[in-house]
Amino acid sequence: MSAAPAADDWIVEASGLSKRFSGFAAVSDVDLQVRRHSIHALIGPNGAGKTTVFNLITKFLAPSAGRILYNGEDITGESPARVARRGIVRSFQISAIFPRMSVADNVRIALQRPLGTSFHFWKSQCTLDSLRQRVDELLDAVGLVDQREQPAAGLPYGRKRALEFATTLALQPELMLLDEPTSGLGHEDVDRIAELIRKVSANRTILMVEHNLSVVARLADTITVLARGRVLAEGPYDRISADPRVIEAYIGGADDQRA
Amino acid sequence: MFELIGISPTLLFGQLLIGLINGVFYAMMSLGVAIIFGMLRIGNFVHGAQYMLGAFGAWYLLHLPDFFPGLGLPSLGYWWALAIVPFFVALIGAGMERLFIRRVYDLEHAYGLLLTVGLAMVIEGLFNVAYGAGGQQYAIPDSLKGGVNLGFMFLPIYRLWVIVAGILVCFATWFVIERTKLGAYLRAATENPDLVRAFGINVPRMLMLTYAFGVGLAGLAGVMAAPIYQVSPQMGQAFIITIFAVVVIGGMGSIFGAIATGLMLGLIEGLTKVFWPQAAATVIFVIMAIVLVLRPAGLFGKETVAYHGSDISAARPGSILENGRLWLIVFAVAGTILPFFVYPVFGMKILCLALFACAYNLIFGYVGLLAFGHAAFYGASAYVAAHSAAVLGLPTELAILSGVAMATAIGALFGWLAIRRQGLYFAMITLALAQIVYFYAIQASWTHGEDGIQSVPRGRLFGLVDLNDTMNMYFFVLAVFLIGFAAIYRIVRSPFGQVLKSIRENEQRAVSLGYSTDRFKLIAFTLSAGLAGLAGGTKAIVFQIASLADLYFMTSADALLMTLIGGVGTLLGPVVGAIVVVTMQTQFATLGAWVIVVQGSTFVLCVLFLRKGIVGTFEDFLASREERRRRQAAKVEPAASAGLSAKGLHG
Repeated sequence: MSAAPAADDWIVEASGLSKRFSGFAAVSDVDLQVRRHSIHALIGPNGAGKTTVFNLITKFLAPSAGRILYNGEDITGESPARVARRGIVRSFQISAIFPRMSVADNVRIALQRPLGTSFHFWKSQCTLDSLRQRVDELLDAVGLVDQREQPAAGLPYGRKRALEFATTLALQPELMLLDEPTSGLGHEDVDRIAELIRKVSANRTILMVEHNLSVVARLADTITVLARGRVLAEGPYDRISADPRVIEAYIGGADDQRA
Repeated sequence: MFELIGISPTLLFGQLLIGLINGVFYAMMSLGVAIIFGMLRIGNFVHGAQYMLGAFGAWYLLHLPDFFPGLGLPSLGYWWALAIVPFFVALIGAGMERLFIRRVYDLEHAYGLLLTVGLAMVIEGLFNVAYGAGGQQYAIPDSLKGGVNLGFMFLPIYRLWVIVAGILVCFATWFVIERTKLGAYLRAATENPDLVRAFGINVPRMLMLTYAFGVGLAGLAGVMAAPIYQVSPQMGQAFIITIFAVVVIGGMGSIFGAIATGLMLGLIEGLTKVFWPQAAATVIFVIMAIVLVLRPAGLFGKETVAYHGSDISAARPGSILENGRLWLIVFAVAGTILPFFVYPVFGMKILCLALFACAYNLIFGYVGLLAFGHAAFYGASAYVAAHSAAVLGLPTELAILSGVAMATAIGALFGWLAIRRQGLYFAMITLALAQIVYFYAIQASWTHGEDGIQSVPRGRLFGLVDLNDTMNMYFFVLAVFLIGFAAIYRIVRSPFGQVLKSIRENEQRAVSLGYSTDRFKLIAFTLSAGLAGLAGGTKAIVFQIASLADLYFMTSADALLMTLIGGVGTLLGPVVGAIVVVTMQTQFATLGAWVIVVQGSTFVLCVLFLRKGIVGTFEDFLASREERRRRQAAKVEPAASAGLSAKGLHG
């Protein structure tokens, strides 16, 4: 890791990233580099700024300062939808599904974008039927194919997250940002999602915020630890878990919050 | 020096003074609206009526002996009114909060707006029944009579008093909210009611008092306005729309912004009266449009990026009530039979308004955007179609199409201005933008002011079919309706419609999937405007008139009412709603001034008891019946399989 890799090895290079909310610095001067085709985890105590970093990279928030390069191109000024079309697709902490649409339609809405007919208000939606096979493949991958006609709202929580995962995957993102993909899931679902993440990480880069350290240990190639909006440490799991500053931040950070 | 540019100082300072006075009222009113909006998330449309109550309250006190001749009550003058009336108006406000407003806090913003629109209609309607549209005079109190000659102008003492007192009240309010503990509690209660409740504070009461306070401010403004403006039932009606624009310009969540913007806009309006009198009525709305382009969050507002549409659709996917092909045939058949049972004119009115409501439903029901200015598209198209047919002599079909083109163009422009904002803001902005068109029609010459464009020739369709024949006209309108209905059905069920649906259900997620949701919303809004224009243009030909009523905000409210009664976001709802509303209007036409009261009550009742509308409620009934049947059918089998598994366990 210590040898400086070639610049095109990085899919995301964020430098000097800061975000202030009326005086409060949620993220300050964060440099983050994500290696192509790796699984990179962001960890840190509550309020460390992990989700804010996510929002900054996906442009759901505009940074107060700093620059974000994606594949070497500056995306700092782009809209969230534009960034998504470049191939950076994110998930959300709370399951982001379209509750009243059927499970299949949830996935289809993502698949239809590359068809380029999304503005065609004069066409019948039957023109989307060609996507059916692909929808079923994706649903099959997350074990939802039997529920394809059900309204998404009726799924149990863990299955909603699986549906969200399938929808995100449908876009074949080059970079997938997963915001706490296993939060609120039971053991069985955690294993399932972790396995899925590993499966889809081939030929793809994944940046995830994750609280479950065993999942992080299992999956992540690189870990960045954030605390109070700053990068505290970075490296593989073994090194991070032994770092006294990280331990201090986790324990001390928890104390701070209770105070 | 002033004479050099052709403006006399008397005129200039006179108008500036009037502007400042108006500004004080804008500030006091928008302060109340901003507080209620900021703390309660209610777009208090009834604020104008509450202001009117204040003015009438002062007038009542003055005439106490006339109202109760037997009791020997004294006539209470201005100072008494100033002390008592705001309190009473606040009390009425507290009552309204307790009875009505409280019930919609947890609902989508749309309902709060609808509820207060309904309440305003009821209150103003009742006063209209009692006192007619004419105004009552309220004399300036003796102690404030006279004036000061400043050399360049004469300054009446009463006006000076209003300016000083109004500004003091505004800043006192600002101080309480921003700088005291009570204000801190208030702000905290709106951020996190549960937490504040845990401190032992009675949050519901606090919200009620906040509402009452905002309303009391309106009452106070009303008393202060009584000696300046005429005391009339309508005095607050158009005023509230201006106030909404002021709040939008000032920016969300800024108390100081509301005050400063109010004063400033009053002055700008006064200056406009001097330099360009024709533009004075619209200048505030135009400024609003400019501010929205340059600083979308308002002059003093904070940047807020909220992805929150309102999904209040009452439709059930896959229901027979959502099968457009089926209903298109049903409507074609029923529409063909209809004129043999009811007056064709009645049928045509329903068809025009049903198309209007369907167009409105496209944006409100299917995209979840609370538009409140569709009168602009309906009316503008009516005027352009009428003008094209009557003055330019275009054939009927082209006249209507030119109306549609105009409505589409205005829709694209207004949509572009408003689309970045959501919820109540979107409603306020579209409402204010529509007022620009309304005031334009009052002043332009080709629109003939109050008269409107009359005696529009119906002409011949494609030069062949004589539309002066009522039946021919009817079937033409039926065809237009069916085309519009089919178009909307197709839009909703297109790849585009799928994206709209996803935006309505979870806009943030739609963005993260790469959809530039604003662009989708803008196209939907423009389509909705164009279809509303189709309804308006057709209406102008059928009834041979385009008038100010078509452009008035009540027409926008009608579209909302029809959609709500029928069922928001359902395919059939707007049609059902149009039938109900047109029937109601026809039945109650004999009630005269009571119509508004009845309509307002319908609004209130719908919001409180029929939120899913007729179609949505029926849909629920169908769904629960289906569920019951499924359960009954399933009952037999699980019982059998349960027995089996129990056996298996023991075996």
